[in-house]
Amino acid sequence: MSQLQATIFGALSGSLFAVMALGLSVVWGFLKIINLAHFGMILIGAYLTFELASTTGIDPIITVVIGAIAMFLFGAIVQAGFERWRVSEFNSLLISYGLLIITVQVVSNVWTADFQRMDSSVNPYAAQSLALGPLRFPLPTLIAAGFAVILVVGAKLILERTYSGRALQAFGQDRDIAGAFGIDHTKLGILLAGAAGATAAIGGMLHSLGESLHPDAPFEWVGRVFAIVILGGIGNVTGTLYAGLLVGGISGLTAAVWSPSASPFVVFSMVVLALVFRPTGLFPSKTGH
Amino acid sequence: MSDRGWIGLLLVAVGLAAVPALVGIFDFNSFYLVFLSGILFWTAQSTSWNILSGYSGYFSFGQGAFYGVGVYSMAVFFGRHGVDWLAATVIGGLLSMLLALAIGTIAFRLRSLRGEIFALLTLAVPFILAAVVRLSDTIDGGQGIVVPVPEYPEFLGSFQTFFFVVSAVVGVLSLAVAFVMERTRYGWALFAIRDDEAVAEGLGVPTFKHKMISIAANGLIGGVSGAVLALNLGFVSVEGTFNLRVPLFVIVMSVLGGRNHWAGPMIGAVYIHTLQNRLADSGFDGWSLIVLGVILVLLVLLAPEGLMARFGRRPWAVGGVFAATLIGLGSWGGWGQPVDWLAVALGTAALVAFLPGRRGGEVAAGRRAHHAPEIFEELPSPVEVGRPLVIADEAAKDFGGVHALRGVSATISQGELVGLVGPNGSGKTTLVNLISGALPPTSGTLTLDGNDLVGMPQHRIAHLGIARTYQIPRPFHSLTVRDNVAIAIMFGRDPHGLEVARDAADEFLSLVGLDHLSDQLPGQVNLHERQLLEMARAMATRPIVLLLDEALAGLNPVEVDNAVAVVRRIHESGVAIVFVEHVLRVVNQLATRIVVLDQGEVLAEGEPDLVMSDPAVITAYLGKEGHARSQ
Repeated sequence: MSQLQATIFGALSGSLFAVMALGLSVVWGFLKIINLAHFGMILIGAYLTFELASTTGIDPIITVVIGAIAMFLFGAIVQAGFERWRVSEFNSLLISYGLLIITVQVVSNVWTADFQRMDSSVNPYAAQSLALGPLRFPLPTLIAAGFAVILVVGAKLILERTYSGRALQAFGQDRDIAGAFGIDHTKLGILLAGAAGATAAIGGMLHSLGESLHPDAPFEWVGRVFAIVILGGIGNVTGTLYAGLLVGGISGLTAAVWSPSASPFVVFSMVVLALVFRPTGLFPSKTGH
Repeated sequence: MSDRGWIGLLLVAVGLAAVPALVGIFDFNSFYLVFLSGILFWTAQSTSWNILSGYSGYFSFGQGAFYGVGVYSMAVFFGRHGVDWLAATVIGGLLSMLLALAIGTIAFRLRSLRGEIFALLTLAVPFILAAVVRLSDTIDGGQGIVVPVPEYPEFLGSFQTFFFVVSAVVGVLSLAVAFVMERTRYGWALFAIRDDEAVAEGLGVPTFKHKMISIAANGLIGGVSGAVLALNLGFVSVEGTFNLRVPLFVIVMSVLGGRNHWAGPMIGAVYIHTLQNRLADSGFDGWSLIVLGVILVLLVLLAPEGLMARFGRRPWAVGGVFAATLIGLGSWGGWGQPVDWLAVALGTAALVAFLPGRRGGEVAAGRRAHHAPEIFEELPSPVEVGRPLVIADEAAKDFGGVHALRGVSATISQGELVGLVGPNGSGKTTLVNLISGALPPTSGTLTLDGNDLVGMPQHRIAHLGIARTYQIPRPFHSLTVRDNVAIAIMFGRDPHGLEVARDAADEFLSLVGLDHLSDQLPGQVNLHERQLLEMARAMATRPIVLLLDEALAGLNPVEVDNAVAVVRRIHESGVAIVFVEHVLRVVNQLATRIVVLDQGEVLAEGEPDLVMSDPAVITAYLGKEGHARSQ
């Protein structure tokens, strides 16, 4: 029973990483930019929730509105800069790396390098858990899973049903042809990067509900988040959610039956195998990503 | 260029050798020995990173893994088990090299997204290593390891002198490796890979082997340098080793100094280490990552080619200002210490390098001669048709559900000039891709002179004598026209060195009438000239079969006539040619035999005149109506 509990709990935790991976995957798939600064935006989102909830007493979930707006602007401005200076795909990787370390250091200078978490008086979710039959799950994990489903379904609907979404898909497949058909990629790209930034803020908020914060956290997320992006298929939103659940579930099971230290090995070996045998991801989508 | 390079490397080595002597003569205190040792450590690390990531374009975020393996080899073997420090250094280098080869084996075998996957893989490896080191009690177990001071020869005096000497040896050796690579096939293979890996492989460059050599060098030097540094650390911990410092610094240093020059990473190391040192000294420790991040972002936007390239444009002005500032501040003596003077001098030198120039670099482009290559008017001498060379037997290729080729059997014999024609989508380029080995067939066999080509690495096929050109020319953009051809000679059947290959390259360029453009970059010549360059480069592999994929596409009539003359010349030199073409006039005129493909199958083949009057061919080309009208 404890193994079942561990697997399901792991899968739910994995959905938090799916939220973190979502924006990264979409920006990589459609704009061809590996935006390492995405991890910085998640970090800022987490600390904004921490700060606003601790100082004003607002419900931490509500604070995400401010975080999402701020990170929308962050993401959009960076993308506008990439467009303005016509930064190549490769150079955007370097620049976003520079932005990531600036972010980490600024966060460390502002909020100190110590571990911090929201006081239980302002964060009513941390201590609660929900019983489902014989299994119990902490509330923050369930909230994260809920957000993950909402975001993924929302993103899927936007990409498939709206003009902007379809235009983005066309752009992701062939920029030149899409441009020739009159798709304004600059504006769409900035909007998409902004939206990805907003999801980063949501990921940060969800992280801060259940976990302690420290400035170096992005480097702990990098491996797992990229594993999810690659396993899910770059730019494939539903694949990202499935990959998150899969990676989380396998990590949880490995930790339970073997050792927590072994889960990076298992996850990483999966990524390597997936890269060799299914380089387009484990969950091919109908739209061809 | 090579002569001046030798002087530079020699100056660095001699200057470093003189330092220990200075300790005795002047009051050269240990601060400066430590400071210089730091620069040397970063020189070795960033140079080793640049050998892979700068030269080949495979961007690594994982230098910390190689460094960490080195550090922990010294800590465990020397610190814990008392193995000789020199032996521990060698072990560290070898273990790190093994790790590098393992990473390369996984990442370099992938067909798609190789670059991106490699970058992400290297991002993850240090964190996995950190977990292993922290959890394994035989390595660290999370407690950290004390590294004692090793025994060193007494004549060196102090430990700091000893450490400086070891660091200098490692630093200079790393520079020497980069220096030699830049002047030999090992480096040029990587430059070709960076510009266009598929083309490099097709020209006979064993790309996988050279990427493995380069990542092995990266791992080996990174590991050795890490092991040596551990001697100076005294205490080694997981947190202190597997953090972002090393992977970040090597990237910033190499980008700042310049990735295309052996001395670039060293220049970057001098700048960044001095800056770091001064920031820490002034109590701005918490700002150093921010400053580095800002420098990285600004550099990528404003000067992606790095300082070394800027210095090269006005070496005397930069050197003069640097020396004048240093000497001026030193003889005045009213402010700061020598390291402060160095920091200011480095700053002013960089400022001079970044001053807007007189557009000196553009003159070369304007000087270029504009006369068109002459047209050859010789009549073709008949070439005897000989034994079969390429034999395709039921070769088929599917892309998903699309049957691009449905079992094509064809023979290309010595002395032939085969015109391969057919409507768009009939499978012409796919057939070229199969014969050249760029794609494996789904079924069927392909042989050259009895050698089975299926499954053979593409560079081996090139060595057997198959060369191709691309419909849209794919030159190596960062190499001159001459060096584009020289690459093909360097990695041909009998390999040559750089200088020999450059001389020989001019012969092939004059074969196609491009010898007046040897020193241009491919971006500076027109489409016709780029297509001729494709042919010269293919000919430089000394092929027995040459595959020309729409070499006339997009040319005006005069250029077409000129290109046809070049093709004839190549044919007369004894090379069998497969000529993919839309312009039927040209095919009729040139080909000794024509093969018509339609919807992935051979529709007709034979003498040009006979094939071109075949009703099936006319229907395929012009539709039923056109067929009716032509009768």
